[in-house]
Amino acid sequence: MDEYDEMYGIEDEFEQQFADELEVMAEIDYEPPRQTKVSELRNKKPLSFEDALVSGDLILKKQGAVSLPECSASQQSSVLKPASLLPEALDGSELPEHFLDSDSFHSPKSKRCRQDVAKKLKFGLSDGGHDITPPSSPEDYSRSTSNSVQAVPASTLDISGLGELQASPRRATVATPHVLRRPPASGDYISVTDSSGNRVYLAKKDEDTVRAVDSRALRNSHYSLGLLSVPIEVLMEQVAERRHRQVVEESQRLTEMLNSRIDEEFGELDGGEPEEDEQAAMDEDQDGTASRLWVDRFSPRHYTELLSDDFTNRCLLKWLKLWDTVVFGREKPTKKPKPPQPDNKLSFQQKDQQNPRFKTKIQITEEILEAELDQYQRPKYKVALLSGPPGLGKTTLAHIIAKHAGYNVVEMNASDDRSAELFQKRIDTATQMKSVLGANEKPNCLVIDEIDGAPTAAINVLLATLNRKESRETDAETAGIGSLKKKKKKKTESVLLRPIICICNDLYVPALRQLRQQAFLLTFPPTQPSRLVQRLAEISRRQDMKVDTGALMALCEKTDNDIRSCINTLQFLHRRGQKQLDQRMVQSMTIGLKDQNKGLFSVWQEIFQLPRVKRKRVGEELFAGMDHGGQASTAAHRLQHILHLASSSGEHEKLTQGLYDNFLSMKLKDPSLRGVCSALEWLGFSDILSETMMHGQNFSLMRYLPFLPAAFHLLFAATSVPRINYPKSQYEALTRTQHTRNALVAMLAEIHPSIRSRVGVLCLSLDVLGLLLEVICPKLRPVNPQLYSMREKQQLVELVDTMLSYNLTYRQDRSPEGQYMYLLEPNVEEAARSRACPRRQLTYQAKQMIAREIELERMRRAEAVLQARNPQRRNEEEKNTAKHSGSLKPAARNHQQRLENIVKQTVVETRPEVDFFGRALVPKEKPVSTAASGEEGKAVSVELQMGKAVGNSDVWFRFNEGVSNAVRRNVYIKDLL
Amino acid sequence: MSLWVDKYRPTLLGKLDYHKEQANQLKNLVQCGDFPHLLVYGPSGAGKKTRIMCLLRELYGPGVEKLRIEHQSITAPSKKKIEINSIASNYHLEVNASDAGNSDRVVIQELIKTVAQSQQIQSSTQREFKVVLLTEVDRLTKDAQHALRRTMEKYMSTCRLILCCNSTSKVIGPIRSRCLAVRVALPSTEEVCSVLTSVCRKEGLLLPGELAKRIAEKSGRNLRKALLMCEACRVQQYPFSADQDIPDTDWEVYLKETANAIVSQQSPQRLLEVRARLYELLTHCIPPEIIIKGLVAELLSNCDGHLKAEVAQAAAHYEHRLQLGNKAIYHLEAFVAKFMAVYKKFMEDGLDAMMI
Repeated sequence: MDEYDEMYGIEDEFEQQFADELEVMAEIDYEPPRQTKVSELRNKKPLSFEDALVSGDLILKKQGAVSLPECSASQQSSVLKPASLLPEALDGSELPEHFLDSDSFHSPKSKRCRQDVAKKLKFGLSDGGHDITPPSSPEDYSRSTSNSVQAVPASTLDISGLGELQASPRRATVATPHVLRRPPASGDYISVTDSSGNRVYLAKKDEDTVRAVDSRALRNSHYSLGLLSVPIEVLMEQVAERRHRQVVEESQRLTEMLNSRIDEEFGELDGGEPEEDEQAAMDEDQDGTASRLWVDRFSPRHYTELLSDDFTNRCLLKWLKLWDTVVFGREKPTKKPKPPQPDNKLSFQQKDQQNPRFKTKIQITEEILEAELDQYQRPKYKVALLSGPPGLGKTTLAHIIAKHAGYNVVEMNASDDRSAELFQKRIDTATQMKSVLGANEKPNCLVIDEIDGAPTAAINVLLATLNRKESRETDAETAGIGSLKKKKKKKTESVLLRPIICICNDLYVPALRQLRQQAFLLTFPPTQPSRLVQRLAEISRRQDMKVDTGALMALCEKTDNDIRSCINTLQFLHRRGQKQLDQRMVQSMTIGLKDQNKGLFSVWQEIFQLPRVKRKRVGEELFAGMDHGGQASTAAHRLQHILHLASSSGEHEKLTQGLYDNFLSMKLKDPSLRGVCSALEWLGFSDILSETMMHGQNFSLMRYLPFLPAAFHLLFAATSVPRINYPKSQYEALTRTQHTRNALVAMLAEIHPSIRSRVGVLCLSLDVLGLLLEVICPKLRPVNPQLYSMREKQQLVELVDTMLSYNLTYRQDRSPEGQYMYLLEPNVEEAARSRACPRRQLTYQAKQMIAREIELERMRRAEAVLQARNPQRRNEEEKNTAKHSGSLKPAARNHQQRLENIVKQTVVETRPEVDFFGRALVPKEKPVSTAASGEEGKAVSVELQMGKAVGNSDVWFRFNEGVSNAVRRNVYIKDLL
Repeated sequence: MSLWVDKYRPTLLGKLDYHKEQANQLKNLVQCGDFPHLLVYGPSGAGKKTRIMCLLRELYGPGVEKLRIEHQSITAPSKKKIEINSIASNYHLEVNASDAGNSDRVVIQELIKTVAQSQQIQSSTQREFKVVLLTEVDRLTKDAQHALRRTMEKYMSTCRLILCCNSTSKVIGPIRSRCLAVRVALPSTEEVCSVLTSVCRKEGLLLPGELAKRIAEKSGRNLRKALLMCEACRVQQYPFSADQDIPDTDWEVYLKETANAIVSQQSPQRLLEVRARLYELLTHCIPPEIIIKGLVAELLSNCDGHLKAEVAQAAAHYEHRLQLGNKAIYHLEAFVAKFMAVYKKFMEDGLDAMMI
């Protein structure tokens, strides 16, 4: 406030003394200044303020005032302060002037520009030819320019109400009364800094103080009657504020509309739009705010501008058009036999191919597009799945086509949360609702970008949405198609009626497997370099970069026709200040390179094949200049290339495998085998390397791995096209080793521990097994074993013994040819025998016989073990074994035996009687049988019972246990008889 | 118990057929009722395990022959479950920790510690210590061997370790120094012959001395193999004849054929064939060291003079790398290629010399 002080110097100490207070009060108070004095000096703002109070008769005068460039809202506010505060103490005529002067320096520009807008609109309407064009502030530049361009149409178009526009200027003034140069002493404030660095303070009003001060102010004022609780000024201000907002919105909308209309016009003109773009671009350049990526700025806005493959574009568009019936309710081209123009080419093709036994991919795609709509008039495939490497324009295509077909695009991508529930919610929102607010009442088209990263659960949700069926189809059908449509509108909760476009890079992600079958698949072919180059040239021309086509070709090649990468590289170079681009630069550039993910086969191919001799490029010569000697340089170049290739492929294990499996089948001109030796040396080295890496977690060694392919390339690369086989030897060997090992382990598992402790897997495979198999193949006469001599029998017993102790047996198996054969079980034969030298085998009959003997022996042993365990049965068995020695089980007198068992069971099973609740009942009379059965005389008692119960009568029965065990009691035959 | 190998295996130290002096020493060692940790090593088929079992029998009595198989599952700190089978009696526990592969360290730590930490309650009826018998120690990883070091000292009062392996070269020094090393050498040809004859006599068969000798030689003095061969001979043809065919293990035959293939032609195509054969051998669980050893033995017989040295050196080089690496096939094939190159050069030089 230095100037302030200077100016008023001695004049009033009062003010000096109470400067702060005065200011505060000024903020609060809204006492209008004395009209007579101030109105002349003031610009339109105070006048408009006045307007609110009195009437709008002074408009024209105000307009004159507006033309003064210095005038601004802030000035008036500061003018207001003293005038309202100190009506009596101050010399009113002088003061405002000074205020004006001093404040004009500091008036914040932001305010002004707001005012500008208002003014512009007003003037455009009221007097179009008015010459006032206020100096545009930078912030508002673009809008103002566009306005200036479209000044005439703006005036001719009438849109919003006139009243609003007229009202706007005064509103602007009232809205900005409290701008201070320094923070107010009391009360809250907000500091605002404008673009030129001036800081001003906006004081916040406290409602209480406002009211309090108001009352005072009202008392003081001449004409306030105090009828309103809220002073009229405040009300006025509120109203004005609202109006202003409306006006600003309106003006923005207008500008947008105009812009878009112009865009459309230019777009139709084809080529007109670039100019506009260019202009915009130039504007941005001038402003120094060209922060937008070229990729965005030059992204295609229309179908005709798309760079991607035409066929793909057309297919997607046609698919989207299939939805027209259901979405827009148009009865439509699907009914027609064939949409004429896109199919011309195809029908030719079909004619050409006389026997269409094998359909081409194109034909299949066409068929899909021709297919009938389903019952809801939807196309057969409800989802289009676009796939292809990055930078081909998939997302752009989806957006543009959806827009082109009249949809409102709703995009979901990997940046959104894609848990199943949210996914569901968003899909539903997008497909079943539509925006009611705003001008675009287009139906939605859901674009799910980067779907290959979505979790499987989310994709399942999508699938479920696709496959939803309407519950009450029958009703709909009876009601007919017309009502069907209406019905759908009502209860669309269930069925999907909007197209969904999914985009992914990798089509073969496991999560997409289900979706793949239900989706209309569109694979993007690589962009044509010629078209890309054309576009790049256009962009660089617009950016004033001098670029020759060769360089652009090189760039395309380098980035693998990745549109995004190309444009980014261009912009990068541009921003670096390079206005020229030639081939050499492109060659030497390391930017724009990406980790290409080439297939393994192509990598192997490149390793084993010398690069074709290309025409010399500038870049290569450059390298040649750096090195000396052409031969060495190409070798070095090749080495670099292979190193890069190998390190970017990432799958070293597989890569090495492929090299190892294939290098010997190459045409080797290597009579001394030196190359082969060194190749194997390399393989051994890389093996040790990877072992160290894996074992010691020392992954810094990984950087040496790509040198193996490079070495192989230098050793074995030839000009002829190599035939590469997929490396499976290692895997096969691994599985077979595993198989062998498993057989051995299975064999060992059941071997008796005393033998087991002497035989490990290793020793089994090395020493024992081969010979063991010899041992178990004795020469057996092909006769019934009954007829064997003692020695032969002995031999057989030994054989069976051996096989049992080594857990071997024969198992009948059916070969694929339908023959039955006996195989060793576990099949260690394969493990021990090499395929090369077949050994003597036993005959089928012999094996069968052995298998049977083994089975018998095994039973015998099991029985022996059992007997050893419960000695009671031994006596019984002994009797039997005495009779039938060697056979399976004593099988005789079968009904008796069975009965015996039954009775025995009942005897054994007799439990203390219990009642329903499990309490033991005291038996009224002891059953005879239980009483008789003692510990020692069980066998006797069995006999006894049998004699009593069964032996005496012809009737016997067996109690089959029922399901109900609620009440059970033993019933004896003697009770029945 | 029907194979002769199992049937006629001695179970007492006094009844061992050869290295009787060593058997006596072992007996003396155990006599006092205690012994240090043992490291028993020697080639396969020399009778290491037999000797160890005899020793245990001497120590604990016949109870040690009541064996049972115990399946144990150990959870590694990485939550990986390791299934391991061990053979145990009341007095000892036999584990092949190398079955667990890379997690053998966990097995060593858990299993041995649990055994070692449990104290015998009644020391009057039993020895104060249990014996843990670890087989194939040379196949243990270094980690596992290091895990063993401290355990061996710490639980000396309750536990004795008997380590059994083929070669001490892969057993780390600290372990070797903590053990009493016992080498069980292969029996001499005569000893093998006498064992064979005595076994045949017990079977009531007559074995011609010449055949016995041939078997002994063919088996490479590996007694287990010799007995199996003998039994296989018996199965093939009983009244033995001195010049009858002695069956051999398939893989050895196959290896010989491979070696012949290498010698007969040296070209990338042949190398490819050899590769297939090497794979075949590897899939039959034949360890690569043994393959390379067998190959060298066969190939050397086809070389002369200074070539032998060169080949032997190459073999040593590649076997060393084999131990360092993981994929055996690379190193085996590298050796074969190296041999081919050397051999071819040698032959061509010889041819040139002849021409001149």
